[in-house]
Amino acid sequence: MISSAFKHTRSVWSVVFLLLAGSALLAAADTTPDITSFRILAGKPVLDFSPVPSVRSYDIETTPDLSQPFSRGSGVLDTFRWTGSNPSSASSGFYRVRTTPLSAAEITAANLLNRIAYGPTPDDLEAVQRIGVDAWVQSQIAAESIAEDLDTLPPFNPGWRKVTASGTGSASTLYVYLDGPGDVYVDNLRLVAGAVDNPALPNLLRNGDFESTLGAEWGLATNVNTSARSVAFVQNGNTSLHLVVTDPGSTRTSSLYQDISPALSTTQTYTLTYWYRTSDTNVNLVVRLSGRGIDTTEPMDGLKTSPATVAATLNDNGTVTRLRSWHLMKAIASKRQLNEILRQFCENHFVTQYSKSDDYFANIGYSAGTSIQPATQIEFDENRRWQAALLNPSVTFLDLLTISAESPAMIIYLDTVGSRGNLLNGVYRIANENYARELCELFCFGVDNGYDQGDIVQISRVWTGWTTELRAPADQGNPFAPRSTVYKDPSVITNKTVVTNLVGNWTLRYSPTRHDPRPKHVFYQKDAAGNPITTQPKTVPARFGPPWAGRPYNLSFAASSYGTNTFQEGYKLLQHMANQPFTQEFITVKLCRLFIHDEFHTGYDFTDKVSSPEESLVKAVMLAWENPPGGGPKGQIRPILQVLLNSDLFRSTLSSQQKVRTPIEFGVAAVRALRTARADGSFTADSDGLGIQTLLTRAGRMRLFDRAEPDGYPETASPWISAGTLAERLRFVQSLTLKTTGTDGRPAGELDNNTFADPVALLRERKPAALSDAGVAADYLLNRLFPAEGAANLAAYRTLAIQFLNTADNGVTPSAYSSLTVGSATHDNRIRGLVAFLMTTPRFQEQ
Amino acid sequence: MNSPHILTRRSFLSRSSALGLGTALATITDIPFVMKRALADGSLGKPGPNGRTKKLLFLFLRGANDGLNALIPYGDPAYNSTNRPTLYIPTDADASWQTSGPAFFPTSGPDTGTFLRPDGSPLGGLPLGNGFAGLHPALKFLAPVYNVGDLALLHRVGYPQQSRSHFDSQNYWETGSPRDSLVRDGLLYRAMMESGLTTTNALTGVSIQSSLPLILRGSKAAMTNLSDTGRYNLLGVPNTAAGNTKADAFLQAATRSPAPDRMSRDFLNLQYQNLNQTLAIFASINFNQEFTDNEATDGDLPYNLFPTSNATNGSYAARGNNPAKYVVPTSSYDFFNSLRSAALILNKTDALVAGTQIDGWDTHSNQGGASGSHANLLRRVGWALYGLRKYFLQNPDKCSWDDLIVVTLSEFGRTSIENDDNGTDHAEASVMFVAGGGVKGFNAANSRKAVFACNPSDTVPWQTGQTGAMFQTEGRYLRRALDYRSVLGKVIRDHLGASQDQLNRIIPGYSNPSEALRAGGTQSSDGVRIMGEPDILG
Repeated sequence: MISSAFKHTRSVWSVVFLLLAGSALLAAADTTPDITSFRILAGKPVLDFSPVPSVRSYDIETTPDLSQPFSRGSGVLDTFRWTGSNPSSASSGFYRVRTTPLSAAEITAANLLNRIAYGPTPDDLEAVQRIGVDAWVQSQIAAESIAEDLDTLPPFNPGWRKVTASGTGSASTLYVYLDGPGDVYVDNLRLVAGAVDNPALPNLLRNGDFESTLGAEWGLATNVNTSARSVAFVQNGNTSLHLVVTDPGSTRTSSLYQDISPALSTTQTYTLTYWYRTSDTNVNLVVRLSGRGIDTTEPMDGLKTSPATVAATLNDNGTVTRLRSWHLMKAIASKRQLNEILRQFCENHFVTQYSKSDDYFANIGYSAGTSIQPATQIEFDENRRWQAALLNPSVTFLDLLTISAESPAMIIYLDTVGSRGNLLNGVYRIANENYARELCELFCFGVDNGYDQGDIVQISRVWTGWTTELRAPADQGNPFAPRSTVYKDPSVITNKTVVTNLVGNWTLRYSPTRHDPRPKHVFYQKDAAGNPITTQPKTVPARFGPPWAGRPYNLSFAASSYGTNTFQEGYKLLQHMANQPFTQEFITVKLCRLFIHDEFHTGYDFTDKVSSPEESLVKAVMLAWENPPGGGPKGQIRPILQVLLNSDLFRSTLSSQQKVRTPIEFGVAAVRALRTARADGSFTADSDGLGIQTLLTRAGRMRLFDRAEPDGYPETASPWISAGTLAERLRFVQSLTLKTTGTDGRPAGELDNNTFADPVALLRERKPAALSDAGVAADYLLNRLFPAEGAANLAAYRTLAIQFLNTADNGVTPSAYSSLTVGSATHDNRIRGLVAFLMTTPRFQEQ
Repeated sequence: MNSPHILTRRSFLSRSSALGLGTALATITDIPFVMKRALADGSLGKPGPNGRTKKLLFLFLRGANDGLNALIPYGDPAYNSTNRPTLYIPTDADASWQTSGPAFFPTSGPDTGTFLRPDGSPLGGLPLGNGFAGLHPALKFLAPVYNVGDLALLHRVGYPQQSRSHFDSQNYWETGSPRDSLVRDGLLYRAMMESGLTTTNALTGVSIQSSLPLILRGSKAAMTNLSDTGRYNLLGVPNTAAGNTKADAFLQAATRSPAPDRMSRDFLNLQYQNLNQTLAIFASINFNQEFTDNEATDGDLPYNLFPTSNATNGSYAARGNNPAKYVVPTSSYDFFNSLRSAALILNKTDALVAGTQIDGWDTHSNQGGASGSHANLLRRVGWALYGLRKYFLQNPDKCSWDDLIVVTLSEFGRTSIENDDNGTDHAEASVMFVAGGGVKGFNAANSRKAVFACNPSDTVPWQTGQTGAMFQTEGRYLRRALDYRSVLGKVIRDHLGASQDQLNRIIPGYSNPSEALRAGGTQSSDGVRIMGEPDILG
């Protein structure tokens, strides 16, 4: 916290670096600013210094003589330049910069929310500070201890709901319709003059209470022409309107409508009220004036779109778009954030390709359009299995690997589904090498790490026979069960063999007759022809050191006659590979890159006497993998996480903001940054996932569940960040914070209303003083958006933020923020613009 | 972590620039002196006598192109239907591969499909007139380019100790440093740095795809990636002209403000600055302009050079709904949109290099023969090179066809023997296509051929038969006779104008005699003999 000092002598300014005892708070972190220049300008000392991370304040201290104590210098600090207030010519002196760093807890809290969560929310930041970083980490690791109901459908209770809306009389026709097929009960539709629903005023609509038969006053377009009065559900009186819609409405030719007479005034304000009865369908009721002077769109379902409502559709009517929405909504809202991060890690590490599955199913009996369902289902199934596995306290890497190996999505993606090694016309068929290669290169060992091409050939034979089958619900766990014979429509005999008429899911099938029965010898030295020498097992290289170096890690399978026992070869191979030091090293390095920073690599010499903190951490994690401190099987995930998340590297500035957000991390973090819960259970920022999906596609084609290449999406910045993808990220943030234009309900940016952030509401909820004080607003937002940076390092942003708030929309005219009317459009835009500005800066790309 | 006592680029910048809003934007583009090495040698990036600068367009065929079914070695009896039951393509019945002369180019005329024979049957392989090699029929539009001498076809291209991992091998092609995974910057990035233009030009190397490829990545200067030409601008709050100006001004001020070192801050700032500088440049280009051929090469109506819709794909619109007449697959419109953007950027801006990629070459299953998935990919390549030639011939502005070289890259070839899934697996050597007005191509007058490393008479002969070239590596794979670095090195030095010293830095293998990249010889790392630089320019 002490910097070097500069000596000022009478005639010559000479530089003296003094190594004053720096009691570094964080072992490896750099907390020492360099003084980079020292000049006399206009007779005053001017000192520039280079900032260091995570600093709350910088102070310049001075002493005329090193035998005397330093004291705080009198002067003005402008970001990283200090100008002394005293004329300098009078005396010589020494100067140094003293820093007041953020506390370790503050740094760790920010790192936690940026690494084991999808970015900080204001609420989570406070929660971590409240319960403490250690307790928060432990609760995230033991995710099952956190109550969560995101995947549970809330009970649905239909009921009457009242809608009130005011606006101008844009035109004299009222439309009533649904935006999709469905039906709804509507009652007491009233339109009155004025800005409030004054019961004393007459209803400008005829038969708006629907107590009379629908007559000429109501026009019925073709798509609503079975609508009628009903006594089934009534809010008031004896009857209501039962609106039945066959096709989506939009205007006069597709709605129930009334021409209002006498005509409304386009300059006058009117108020519309009505009641409708909710139902658990997914359409919206629209009641509006032509010209949208008054425009209401109300959800029919009473259930907001949530992971649970989306998941409910994935089992029989899934699309990859909905699956992505489920994934993204959980990323935003889950309290088990680490679980979501780890599930995404599994999904991305054991990568599969939705569109290849779709193509596969389209070629085995599914017609175009129906193949998307099983292709989505198998992705959903593997993700649910990982999610459940990660809630098991003793979950191991082998568990996660096995889920992937058994997943039809993987079996199809890497061509095991059609791989055969059986004897045909006297020749063994050549097994497909794709899964064998990636199992070594990408899922376990890492490239060129302990295997060769000959091992791949041997391993490819192990997987012959692993394929997939459509199974009835009762047979899902049986890899030998035949195809489902449960029919969706048993009456259609001709459809009995059609896959789309069968009830069930695609799951792992083992076909012994496809299996290559020859002996297999994996991880042996090879002869000149590339064949394994079964007397010479491969051994773990010396660089791994104890306890691994020198261990043989060969594996052999004896010749087998065709039979179901050969199914075990695959599982034995997974068990063998999952805990080899190569796997430990490769997976550990990937986790370190995910949680700490990108500068970890495989291939360390673990016998080094002196090793970098990175190498030391990799080894510490591998040891926890090899010998979990609490006992039990190797490869348990939680002891690994304990080592990582308790490491000095993780809990210091060496990890904070050292990584750049991937597209999913950026999109989700942008929503979370402005998201706080209101008293009514709604949030100040949210997304149904669709708007974020568009971002992911545009900002580098991060198409979740559908990567073509088996190496998964990269963690590092350089593949993701270039001018074109940055433009997309910036546009997303700008659209997210833009206010909807209000009367017509459409957004001014390019996101729909289901992906939004309302930073004004956030300040209203969490920091009301910020609504009229520019400094308070700047401090609050900077602290929440960049919690690891430290106020002193954000001084330039703070100056700009205050300047932004005090400048009119034209960017030139001074316009005092404190004198804006809170709630006015100008005030609203000022805050939204500021937040957009801060979130489009380079710092917000970091995590 | 940076040592605090080393002057990093960031601290250099923050120390050399005044703080606050007034800083000139140029300041943070400044590159430390160590990067400003002697740039005077060579003519890389400098205008020639015609006032134009030599340029390069690259196409990366990601997934590994099956070279044996693209530039087909008909003279090798091992290319047969036993080794390749579903992939094998016989030569076209109307031509003989033994005939010496120009490549065979069957024009479709108005009444048959573009890739069909007059009787409606599929085209066969198209002999190239060197007595040995032929083109996959889906590459038929390469024939007219070949016949005017603007195309070189190179077979057996690879590198020592070939990796059969897509990712490693693509990385090696892009970094120019095989088997060295520590090199993290791209070969063309280094070429752009050597040009000395990265400090003055907003645009030097450009890609048109979903994200910047490794070949253009590096930490000291930002190359530019453009993913959607229609969305390359920013918004403001409120989203008005003034609001946008205000948002831009504050964002630029924030980007200039100094900050502590973090691992990616220099990188992020360079990319932000590149975004800011290129917004106006790209806004000035009409990326949606249509370009039509000036002749009916295919015996039909002149085709659109960059088809981006059914209506502009061959003569479909003019002749009614006849899908067989499509020149390129209907799934390739995004690619041709990107290709057109790359061409426009080279022609309308100072960019030296532009490129894009074609995905999907990893044909492990159902690869297809004369038609099918591999054929559909090759159709893209064939029409791309044809269309680029015509575009630059007809619309020269900052770049003419004579100023341009187009190269294709692909990480490796595929197994010589078909697998059990009617496809091919990862193997070794594959093909490269090099096109441009400056290519030393086919010449009927002096009987010059422009097919390289695909003949038994090569200095590294193509040995035929079941133990020949196609099985020379591990008894399974086509062995290389060319190193991709020799091809790219030749283009970078003799076309783009790098000096040999610069080339030694761009492709470090050039300074190592045991790599034999220039003159050819035995590459010491695995003892394979290569032919050195092919004679493709001049």
